[in-house]
Amino acid sequence: MSHRVGTVILVAMAIASGTVPASEAARKLRVVATIPDLKSLTEAVGGELVEVDSLTRGTQNFHEAEVRPSMMLKLRRADAVIENGLDLDAWADVAIEGSNNPNLMRGARGRIEISRGIELLEVPTSRVDRSMGDVHPRGNPHFSLDPGLAPIITQNILDGLARIAPENRAAFEQNRKAFLAQLDQRMAEWTKLMEPVKGGKVVVYHPDMIYFLTRFGLAQVGMIEDRPGIPPSPQHLVSLIRVMKEDKIKVVLVEPWNDIKLANRVAEEAGAKAFVFASSVGAVKGAENYLGAIDYNIRTLAKALQ
Amino acid sequence: MRAFVVALTCCMAVTPATALAQSSDADALRRELQELRRQHEEAQKTIDALGERLKRLESAPPPATAAPPPSPGQTRSDPAAQTGPPSTTDLLRPRQPFGLSQQRGAGQLLFDMGVAADFVANFTQHNVQKAEGGTFAGQENTFFPRELELSLFGQIDPFASGLVRIEAGQSRRGGDIDVSLAEGFLTLLALPYGTQAKLGTMRNRFGWSNNVHEHDLPWVDRPDVYRVFLGDEGLRESGVEATWVPDFLPFYLEVLGGLFNGDNETAFGRGVLTHPLVTARVRAFFELSDTQALQVGVSLANGETGERRASRLVGYDVKYKFRPDGWLHPLLTLGSEGIYSMRRTARDVDIDQDGVIDFSEKSHRDSFGWYGWAEVQPWRRWGFGARYDSTQYPDAPGWQWAVEPYVSFFPSEFLRFRLAYKHTDRQQRFDPSGNGGSARIVDELLFQATFILGAHPAHPF
Repeated sequence: MSHRVGTVILVAMAIASGTVPASEAARKLRVVATIPDLKSLTEAVGGELVEVDSLTRGTQNFHEAEVRPSMMLKLRRADAVIENGLDLDAWADVAIEGSNNPNLMRGARGRIEISRGIELLEVPTSRVDRSMGDVHPRGNPHFSLDPGLAPIITQNILDGLARIAPENRAAFEQNRKAFLAQLDQRMAEWTKLMEPVKGGKVVVYHPDMIYFLTRFGLAQVGMIEDRPGIPPSPQHLVSLIRVMKEDKIKVVLVEPWNDIKLANRVAEEAGAKAFVFASSVGAVKGAENYLGAIDYNIRTLAKALQ
Repeated sequence: MRAFVVALTCCMAVTPATALAQSSDADALRRELQELRRQHEEAQKTIDALGERLKRLESAPPPATAAPPPSPGQTRSDPAAQTGPPSTTDLLRPRQPFGLSQQRGAGQLLFDMGVAADFVANFTQHNVQKAEGGTFAGQENTFFPRELELSLFGQIDPFASGLVRIEAGQSRRGGDIDVSLAEGFLTLLALPYGTQAKLGTMRNRFGWSNNVHEHDLPWVDRPDVYRVFLGDEGLRESGVEATWVPDFLPFYLEVLGGLFNGDNETAFGRGVLTHPLVTARVRAFFELSDTQALQVGVSLANGETGERRASRLVGYDVKYKFRPDGWLHPLLTLGSEGIYSMRRTARDVDIDQDGVIDFSEKSHRDSFGWYGWAEVQPWRRWGFGARYDSTQYPDAPGWQWAVEPYVSFFPSEFLRFRLAYKHTDRQQRFDPSGNGGSARIVDELLFQATFILGAHPAHPF
C-alpha cells in the first residue's frame, strides 16, 4: 500500500515539474509567435516538428495588444518565442517576463526576433519624438506581409529553431525550401496580376502596407491618420480629401480593426472606395494563412485599381 | 584677290576665337576632372570607413536576439545559450555581460527611461478643509503634484532585470516637494521550475490595485479600503517576493510568497526581519472567450504591529473585462476588491468606573472593507465609470461609505484628463487635525491630469 502511495506521489511530482521523460522525448517544439503572420511562417518552416500558437489574433491592432495572463501561460510552456521586433510587439516583454520561463528571456536562445537583415522603410532621418505620433525610431515595423521579405524572415525563423533543435536543421531547411518554391510560383502569378495597375496610387488608414505597396510598384499618397496612431483632425481630413480629388485617388485601404465607417466616409467624399485588406493572417475571411493573406491583398488591389 | 583677303581676314578672326573656345573647354574639363578626383577620393574614404565599421561589427559578439547556431565546440561557458535553465555552476561563473559597458557607443544607454507625472486638483467644503478630512488630507482645495515619477529599467544581464523608481510629490498644502525612492528591485529571471524572485523595495502584489501606481489607477484616488487599512500609499515594503507559475494547469495560475520587514505603519510597523511580514497570493486567470476574461485572486499578509501585536489581512480581488473583437480598448470593465483585517489590540478596562484605567486586557478587532467598480468605454478617447466604497475602521468603531462617478478623456495613449465627483459619508464626526472642523459628510470635485514621457511598459490585464 505504502509502495503504491509512493509511486503515485512520484508520478504526481514528475507531472507537476513537467518532466515526464517519455513524453519529453517525443514531443514537438512548442513555439509561440507574437503575431499570426509569424505563426503561419513558423508553421511553414517547422512543419510537423513544431506546434505553433499566436499571442494575438489577426483582427487585432498589434500595437495595442492587451497583455493577458493567458499569454503568459502559453509562453510558460513554450520552447521559443518568435517576435516581430521594432517595437511592434514591445508588449510581449511584459508577457514574457510574467511567464517565469527562463528560456525566453532576453539573451536566451529561445528568443527569436525576425527583423534581422530586413531593409527597413520609413526610417526617420531626423530627430523623432511623440509629436510625430506613434513613430517607430528604427523604421516601419509592418514588413511581415511583404512576400519579397519572406526569404529573410523564414531564414531568421529557421536559424532560431535550429538553435533549439539543431538535429532538425535539415528538416527545417527542406520545409523552408518547399515553402519558398511555392511562394516563388505564387509570386510570378501575383506580379502578373499587379502589372496592369503598377504605379497606382492609394490612401491608407495606418501606414502598415508600405512594404507591400513598394514591392508591387504602388504609391501611398496619403494617410487617414493625422500621424501614426493619432486619430485624424477635421482639418487633416479636409486636406486629404482635396488631395485625393486632385490626384484622382480611387482606393482607400483600411484595416479590419480600424474605423471602417470613417474610411468609407472619406472615400465617399473623395469619390473613391474603401477596401478592407488583410492587415495580418486571419484578419479577414480568405486570409487564413500567409499565402492566403497576400493573395487576398493582391486580388483586392488588382481589382480596386483597375 | 579681294576674295582671298576676305578669307584671310575671316581665318584670322576665327582662329583666336577657336583657340579661346578650346582653351575654355580644356579648363572646364580640368575642373570636371578635379571634381571627379575629389569625389573619387571622398568615395574611397567612405568605402574605407565602412570597411572598418564592418570589420568592427564582425569582430564584435552578435546581438542577444540573433545568436548564431551553436558550433560543435560550444561549451556550457555561455549559460544563456543553453536550452534548459542555467545550473548553479553557470550562475556562479563570471560571465560575458561584464564586457557590455565597454561595448556601448557614446551616448547610448543600455536601459529604458520614462517619466510619469500626475497632478491633482480638488475642491471641497470649508469644514472638510479645516478638519483635513478629505480624500487628500492636508491638500484640500489645492492643485498639487501628487506624483512625478522617474523610472529607469532594463536588463542587468541575461539573468536579471532591474528597476529603479524615484518619486517626487507634495504631501502637505504649500509644503516642499518630497523626493523618495518609490521602488527599487531586481528580478531574477533565470530561476528553474517556473519560478522567479524579486528583491528590493517594491509595491507588494497584494490584491490587484495595490501593485498599480497612482497615475495608472483607473480612478483619481486609491480605493478607501486600501487607504484606511494600509495608508495613503498602500502596501510598499522591502524584502523578497517569489512567484511560481505551473505549466500543467489548463488555466493561468500564479502562486506568490513574500518575506518583508513590515515597515507599513498603518497595518504592521514592526519593521524587523526577525518578526517579518509574510505575504502570499494566488491569482487565477480564465479566458472566457476571445472577448471576455476574468481574473480572481486571494491575498494574505501576516505580521506584527509596532506594539508587537499580531495583525493579519486577508483580501480578495476579482476583475472582468469585455473587449469586443478588433476593439482597441475594453467596452466594459468590472472589478471588486475586499480586505478583512484581524488585529490584536489592547482594551483599557476601568473596573470601578472612576475614570482611571485599571488595566489593559488583550482583545481583538476584526473589520472589513471593500469596493466595487464599473467602467464603460464606448469610444477610444472617453471612459465613464463609478466606484462604490464601504469600509469599517481597523482600529476604531464605525464605518464609512463613498460613491465616485468619473469621466476620463484620453487625447492619446500618453495623456489623460479625469474629472470625478466623490461623496463620502462617515458614521460619526471625523476631525483628524483636531482643529474643530468635521468631515462627516464630504463632497469633493476631483480633477486629474496625467502624462507620460519616454518608455512605459505595457500594463498587464
